[in-house]
Amino acid sequence: MKVPMKWLKEYVDINMPAEEYASRMVMTGTAVEGVDKTGEQFDKVVVGYVVSCVDHPNSDHLHICMVDVGEAEPIQIICGAPNVHAGMRVAAALDGAQLPGGKIKKGKMRGEVSMGMLCSGPELDVPAGLYPHIGDEGIIEIFEDVAPGTDVKEVFGLGDDVIDFEILANRPDCLSVWGLARESSAVLEEHFVMPEIAVEETGKGTFDDYAKVEVLDDQTCPRYCARVITDVKIGPSPKWMREYLYGAGVRPINNIVDITNFVMLETGHPMHAFDLSKVKDQTIVVRRARPGEHLTTLDGKEHVLDESMLVIADRENATGLAGIMGGEESEIVDDTASVLFECAAFERANNRVTARKLGIRTESSGRFEKGVCPETAMEALDRACMLVNMLECGNVVPGAFDHYPNPAQPVEIDAEVGRICRRIGVDVPAETMEDILNRLYIDTTLVDGKLLHCEIPAFRQDMETEADVSEEVLRMYGYDHIPSTLMNGVTMAGRRDPRTVFADRVKAALVGMGMFEVLNYSFISPRWIDSLGLDADDPRRSAVTLRNPLGEDTSVMRTSLVPSMLNTVAANLNRGNADGRLFELSKVFVPAEKAGDLPEEKRVLCLSAFGEGVDFYTVKNIVVALLAKFGVTAQIEAAGDGYYHPGRKAVLSVDGNKLAAMGEIHPDVAEKFDIKGRVYVAEVDLDALMPLEKDFYGVKPLPKFPSVSRDIAVVVDEKVGAGTMMDAIRKAAAKTLEDVKLFDIYRGEKLGKDKKSVAYAITLRAPDRTLTDEEINATMDKVLKALKEFGAELRA
Amino acid sequence: MEKMLREIRERVMRNIDEARASSALEQIRVGVLGKKGELTGLLRGMGKLPPEERPKMGQLVNDVRAALEARLEERAKELAEKEKAARLEAEAIDVTLPGPGRSAGSLHPMNIALQKMVEIFVGMGYEVVEGPEVEYDHYNFELLNLPKNHPARDAQDTFYVDDNIVLRTHTSPVQARIMTTRKPPIRVICPGRVYRADEADATHSPVFHQMEGLVIDENITMGDLKGTLDEFARQMYGEGIRTRFRPSFFPFTEPSAEVDLTCANCRGEGCRMCKGTGWIEVLGAGMVNPKVLEMCGIDSRKYSGFAFGMGVERISLLKYNIPNLRYLYENDLRFLTQYR
Repeated sequence: MKVPMKWLKEYVDINMPAEEYASRMVMTGTAVEGVDKTGEQFDKVVVGYVVSCVDHPNSDHLHICMVDVGEAEPIQIICGAPNVHAGMRVAAALDGAQLPGGKIKKGKMRGEVSMGMLCSGPELDVPAGLYPHIGDEGIIEIFEDVAPGTDVKEVFGLGDDVIDFEILANRPDCLSVWGLARESSAVLEEHFVMPEIAVEETGKGTFDDYAKVEVLDDQTCPRYCARVITDVKIGPSPKWMREYLYGAGVRPINNIVDITNFVMLETGHPMHAFDLSKVKDQTIVVRRARPGEHLTTLDGKEHVLDESMLVIADRENATGLAGIMGGEESEIVDDTASVLFECAAFERANNRVTARKLGIRTESSGRFEKGVCPETAMEALDRACMLVNMLECGNVVPGAFDHYPNPAQPVEIDAEVGRICRRIGVDVPAETMEDILNRLYIDTTLVDGKLLHCEIPAFRQDMETEADVSEEVLRMYGYDHIPSTLMNGVTMAGRRDPRTVFADRVKAALVGMGMFEVLNYSFISPRWIDSLGLDADDPRRSAVTLRNPLGEDTSVMRTSLVPSMLNTVAANLNRGNADGRLFELSKVFVPAEKAGDLPEEKRVLCLSAFGEGVDFYTVKNIVVALLAKFGVTAQIEAAGDGYYHPGRKAVLSVDGNKLAAMGEIHPDVAEKFDIKGRVYVAEVDLDALMPLEKDFYGVKPLPKFPSVSRDIAVVVDEKVGAGTMMDAIRKAAAKTLEDVKLFDIYRGEKLGKDKKSVAYAITLRAPDRTLTDEEINATMDKVLKALKEFGAELRA
Repeated sequence: MEKMLREIRERVMRNIDEARASSALEQIRVGVLGKKGELTGLLRGMGKLPPEERPKMGQLVNDVRAALEARLEERAKELAEKEKAARLEAEAIDVTLPGPGRSAGSLHPMNIALQKMVEIFVGMGYEVVEGPEVEYDHYNFELLNLPKNHPARDAQDTFYVDDNIVLRTHTSPVQARIMTTRKPPIRVICPGRVYRADEADATHSPVFHQMEGLVIDENITMGDLKGTLDEFARQMYGEGIRTRFRPSFFPFTEPSAEVDLTCANCRGEGCRMCKGTGWIEVLGAGMVNPKVLEMCGIDSRKYSGFAFGMGVERISLLKYNIPNLRYLYENDLRFLTQYR
């Protein structure tokens, strides 16, 4: 909330620079976004008096003006505005002036010297309404008798400090000048002086003679106050009011509208002004909307309402959304003659839900949903009427409408001094606490020196418990008094959870293998999942979908890390990073089977490698080495998802449970992710891997007996996996096998088409004896027999 | 004979001195002392001498033999040393040449910071606990004193899955889960991913990480919170880094504080990074609101506690001088490889 310093100073003495004041407020809990000055968008613009104005000889629209800007001689300024004429006071930007559009320099226009520029409202970025006639065509005309050379900021009432407060959700009372002045008075220990509110009821008759109000829903409308003004004269509001409104970021419009905005800013109560003659039957009904009821709001938008929404209506139709936006018909216009002022309190949750449903957010709805105090509504309404008196823009009709069936009950809190001290860790003397609370307008008495009896004022709706009292005490006493201590109590063993420990070990292993960790968003585009070309019934196609995503690109929770990894690879290739080895360890989200349950969150590792010297075996080696680190050996099988190259993909499993998949990305899929060239990807299910980790169960004794080595070479069909045969050898020779290595693969014409020769070196050893030739031969026979199952022939 | 011996001795001695390689020395040895060597021949020819001369001549030959052997051995050593030196010299390589193979990769800078943060708190006796990222509204908001349609929910733009399920907007729901399932004393940290419906820019990301801390025990004070965060600041950013507490508002803590740290860049002098204030806003904290304790089934008259929550990305940005939050989620290798 932006507040001009001058406005605050009307009610509390602030005898310090704006920055210092702002910092005092920040350190006691009222956040400040910044300190600005109004009118900072321009400088070196002064009041000029146009001494003479003649047509430019070389132009059909320019004028040559001699302008008195308070210097010894008038200066020549060329001006193209149609309304410029001799004898006019203008806003003259001098040579070197800084305007929102740029710097003004003297120069020549069509051969004639121009020493500056005569300005329009938009050229100074000041709104129509701040000063009469700013909004008119052409340059600004200054009607007051101001000496040439005077800074125009003085004329417009600019140059004041404006504090931009950031009011937190617990202090809606500070969304007002009075609230902030009251808070400031507590912080600065100065007096807060509110104006005496007295309305001169100069109108005829009483309220009931002019209007009728019916409130049909006490729950959503706890209070409704209204007054009538007759003999209204619409016109500009006075300079001080325009200046304050502009400083607070509100565009001045006309006296009646300005009064409602002024009162909203000053008291925190949103107000509404109806042109009473346009209100049908001069009757206002506050009720819930009928289902399907239509309403066109002030901004020209049509809405379909439901019965949860509170509306302002005439006898038949809804004309406005209560506390959110008024209707078109009863808007204040230049010839409005009688006005009904509304100042109400609407229930905040209902207001919020309605505004959300309809997608409308106004200054008024924002205030109601944060909470507007019903207790002070009448006071605010009277303040508005008092301003009508002051501005002499109408006659206030005697009497008011006030519907307030359930006045707020005063809240009282008894807070223990000792417990407050223990909570905040600071020994604040009881009397100091009492003093602080009283300064905050919380009527407090100290009982027996240890109990604070606090009567909470109506505007402090946030104060409910002793903890709230402790915060009030501490923030005013000063957070800098909090000591730095470490807690006593039982010693606790710190530890990390096993899943994180495991994940960190996986990451460390990958980093050691030259991989770089990446982080991607957890939500992706459903199109990315489509791009993988999964089967129609693949479970990864069903994802947790966000109801309100930032965009389609981030609308579903990941069911696979592969799409974001491919996207990351593509981005890197695009930026000229031709080689890379990346990994991401994150969660995928599997929708729950039962509606209303949380999805399952599974930890998955995805890695990729691309660039020079990288092939299928690069990722395979990384995955196998990673598994080996946890003592896991997996079976490999040429299989896998369709997004991999059909001849370059594999699945690793243990006891039939899939643990990892890997392969070269299918060129069709790569193309969809804008990747040219080959990318290799692997996925590892970490939740499946973690329980497989082997405990360390002691070492085997070192061998005492010699080993023997035998080589075996077989010819086999090309499609038989050399690794698969190796597994078969391991199984066949299991009893005495120490090691098996593949040492040669040969392909040649002599072997025949689609045949290869594969050679293994087999090392055998028994722990308790030297193996005999018979034993060795028997084992090798078993091996050969096992290989023959694959159609292998011993190579001649 | 004696003359011959002298001549052999002098000649061979000269040859030994002139030998330039171990192999030449071996040739010399064989030529003189070998089975068919000159000296061996002389000894063999001793039979022809009169018996009375034999001992004397034998003595003489043996003396020459011993002298030559000694010299040969000495010279062999010399040459071996020389040859080794020459070999070592020849074996010199260009050690500045980069070796083959890959150097290590690196963790993501966010995780480097997070691991350090976790380590600091584990060292202070905290247990690390994680919770779901897709979370019930009940834990994310309601148990934390943020009822439905409460305006304070506006501070956290929330992604909804349905009316009751959200992407958690902070790590605080893990707090609520812990408090509803455990009894004090509680001392935990909860790191993890959180989500806010903010467009990505230099200081915002719709996905980021937080680390929550929660302590509940008897007689926990706000001073303990400050002491804990002071210790964290010191270990994370170095000696001389302090905390500053400013009053603030969070529905789940009372009193609440925004916590600033001494700007690590200027050590509090004031610089561009801290906009001249010497302080950087880093985290939110406070004493757990007794209402929250009660909602979670903990006796608020017996127990008190504090909670804090910090953005890991923010800590990482400050720690590693990263100019723009977007760097963290772009995964550009030119950035990532700088953490090697």
